[in-house]
Amino acid sequence: MTSTLEPAAEQQELPETRDRREFLATRRRTVAVELTMTVLTVAVAVLIAFLVVLATGKDAGGALNALLTGPLERTPRIGRWLADATTLALLGLSVAIPFRARQISLGAEGQVYVGALASALVAINLHLPPFAAVLVPLGAAALAGGALGAVPGVMKARLGANEIVATLMLNAVVVRVFDYLLTDHLKAPGSTAVQSAPVRPDSALPRLSDFFGVPLDRANIGLFGMLVVAAAVWFLLTRTPLGYRIRITGSNPDFARYGGLDVPRTIEWSFVIGGALAGLAGAHLVLGIYGGLQPDMAGGLAFEGIVVALLGRNNPVGVVAAALLYSYLRVGGDVMEQQTDVGSEAVTIIQAVIVLLVTARALPELVKRYLGRVRKVPPARRRLARTLARREAR
Amino acid sequence: MGPVLDVVLSTGFLAAILGVSTPYVLAALGGLLAERAGVPNIALEGSMLSAACTGALVAGYSGSVWAGAVCGIGAGALLALLLGVLHLYLGADAIIAGIGLNLLAAGATAYTVYALLGDKGGTSRMHSGALPSVRLPFVEDVPGLGAVLSGQNVLTWAALAATPVIAWLLYRARFGFHLRAVGEHPEAARSVGIHVHRVQFRALALSGALAGAAGVFLSMGAVSFFVTGMTAGRGYIALAAVFLGALRPWGVFLAALGFGTAEALAVQLGNLDIPSQLVSAIPYVCTLLALAFFAWRRRRASHAAAVPASLPGLHTLESP
Repeated sequence: MTSTLEPAAEQQELPETRDRREFLATRRRTVAVELTMTVLTVAVAVLIAFLVVLATGKDAGGALNALLTGPLERTPRIGRWLADATTLALLGLSVAIPFRARQISLGAEGQVYVGALASALVAINLHLPPFAAVLVPLGAAALAGGALGAVPGVMKARLGANEIVATLMLNAVVVRVFDYLLTDHLKAPGSTAVQSAPVRPDSALPRLSDFFGVPLDRANIGLFGMLVVAAAVWFLLTRTPLGYRIRITGSNPDFARYGGLDVPRTIEWSFVIGGALAGLAGAHLVLGIYGGLQPDMAGGLAFEGIVVALLGRNNPVGVVAAALLYSYLRVGGDVMEQQTDVGSEAVTIIQAVIVLLVTARALPELVKRYLGRVRKVPPARRRLARTLARREAR
Repeated sequence: MGPVLDVVLSTGFLAAILGVSTPYVLAALGGLLAERAGVPNIALEGSMLSAACTGALVAGYSGSVWAGAVCGIGAGALLALLLGVLHLYLGADAIIAGIGLNLLAAGATAYTVYALLGDKGGTSRMHSGALPSVRLPFVEDVPGLGAVLSGQNVLTWAALAATPVIAWLLYRARFGFHLRAVGEHPEAARSVGIHVHRVQFRALALSGALAGAAGVFLSMGAVSFFVTGMTAGRGYIALAAVFLGALRPWGVFLAALGFGTAEALAVQLGNLDIPSQLVSAIPYVCTLLALAFFAWRRRRASHAAAVPASLPGLHTLESP
C-alpha cells in the first residue's frame, strides 16, 4: 500500500522545495560560469602577454613553456608557490571584506607593515612557551592591523572622508615610520645589512619541508592557517549577522539604511577585519618567510591582493583559488626570467590585463552581442547596428 | 635649530622646492580636472610613468628632446583616455581600472626598457638629454630672487603657468563650465544638451597630458634618464593634493607645493641628524588631518551645500 502512495506524494512537492531546488541549480550554474570566466580571463591575459613577447622578437614559446610548467618542475618551486599563495590569499581576503561592503580600501600595504612590525617585536623580544610563541605574535599582528584599519574606517563611516585618499596617506606614513624604526632602532647590532634581529626559533612557523621530507623552500604551516582563515571569512560572510550586514551594505546601502542596519558600524567593522587579515599577512612574512624584518618587505603586495580579490570575485573560496592561480604565474615569471630572455615584468602585464578584463563589466555583454550580430546581421548593416549600440551604451 | 634655519632660508633650498614640486603641481592639476569632470583619475601614476619612459626613449632614439617631451605627454594622455574608455564605455569601476592601468604602466615600461636596451634598471646607459632650463637675463642679477627663479627647468615654468591657466579654464571658459556641470550633475548637463562623455574624455585627455608633463619632468628635467618605477607613488600623492586643495586650482597648487617642500626638506635634513623619514611623513599626516577636518565640516554643512558628484557611488554611503 505505502509503496504505491509514495510516488504521488513526491509529485505534489511543496513549492518551497521546488524553489529551493531551482535556486541551488541556478547557483551551481553561476559558480560554473564564474569559474569559467576566471580561467578564461587569465587565459586571455596570458595570451595577450604572449603576443606582446612575440612582438618584441623574443623566444615567446620558450617563455610561455617556462611560465606554465616551470613552477611544478622542482619541489622548492612548489614550495615558493605555496608560500606566495599564502600571503596573497590573506591579502586578497583582507581586501575582499571591505569590497563586499562597497568600500575601496587601499590600505593593505600599511596594514601589512604594521602587522609585520607587531609580530616581529613580540617574536624577537618575548620569551613565550611553545604554541603561545607562535600564537601571540600572530594575535599582535592581527590587532595592530585591525587598529590601523579602524582609522580610515571611522573616518569614512563617521565623517564621510574619502577612504581611498585616507588609506593611501596612511600607507605613506606607515611605510616611512617602518623604515625609520628599522634603520634607527631595530637594526640588528653588528649586521651590515639593514635588517632586524631574527625572530626566536620557537616563534618561526614550522616549515613544510620538515613534515614532508622534500625541500619546499619557505612554505610553512601558514598555508593551513590561511585555509582556516578563509573558512572563517566564509563563515563570517554567509553565516553571521555581521556578514549579512556587510553584504547588504555593499549590495544596497539605501536598503540597509532604511532597513535599520547600522551602516557606519558595519563599514567600520569591514575595515577592521580587513586590516586584521592584512596584519596576519605581515606576520606570515615575518614568521614564515623572512624570519625577521627587512626593508621594503611588502612593497607592492597590497595591489597584488586587490588583483586576487577581484579575480576571486570577493568570494573566500574564489580568493584562495585566485591566489593559487596568481602566485603560480608569479613563480612561473621568475622561472621564465631565469631560463629565457623574457623579463618577469611580462607577469605584471598579465596581472594588469586581468584587472582590466575583470573590471570591464560590459565587455562580456559586448562580445556576446558582437558575436550574435556577426552571425545574423549582413555586413552592410553591421556599421549601423554598431552605431546604435554605441548610442545605447551612452 | 641654527643649521636647520640656515638650510631652510637658503636660496638653493627655495629653488629646490620649485624643482621638487613641479611634478606634484602638474599631476595634481591633472587630477583636479578629471575629478571635477566626475572621473576620479587614479591612473595619474601610470600616466606619469609611461610619459617618463616614452619621453626618455623617444628623445634617446630621435635625438630631439622636444620630440621626446611631446611623445611623453601624448603617452600620458593616451593612458588617461584608456581609463575613459574602460570606465565610460565598458562600465569598469574607475578606481580599480585606474589601479589596473598603473600596473600596466609599471609592467609595460619595465618590459619595454628591458626588451629594447637589455637593462632592467632604466635608460641610464642611453644618452637622451634633458629639457633646457630657462635663464632670466635681468632677474638673475637680482640677489636672492635671481638664484631662486633663474635657471629653473622649462617645465617648472610650465607648472607655475598652468595653475592660473587651469583656474581660468575652469571658471571662465565655456569648456570649464561644461566640465563642472558634467562633474556635478551629469543628468542635468545632458538635459541641457551637453555631450557628457565628450566633455569627460577631453578632461581626461588634458588630465593625462598634465600628468604626462609631470612624468617627462622626472626623466627629462630633473635627470636625463628613465629609471624603472621612478614615479615612486608621486601620482597617488598628487591625488591627495587634489583633495587637500579642496578641488580648487590654487588650493591644489598650494597643497602640491606643500608636498614638494616637505620632500625637499627631507632631502636637505638627511645631511643633519634628523630622521628624514619622519620629516617626509609630515605632509601625509597633515593630509590625513585635513581630510578628516574637511569631511567633518562638510558633514556639518552637508544639508545646505551640494556634494560634488566626484567619486560617484562613494558618497552614497554617507549616513544621514
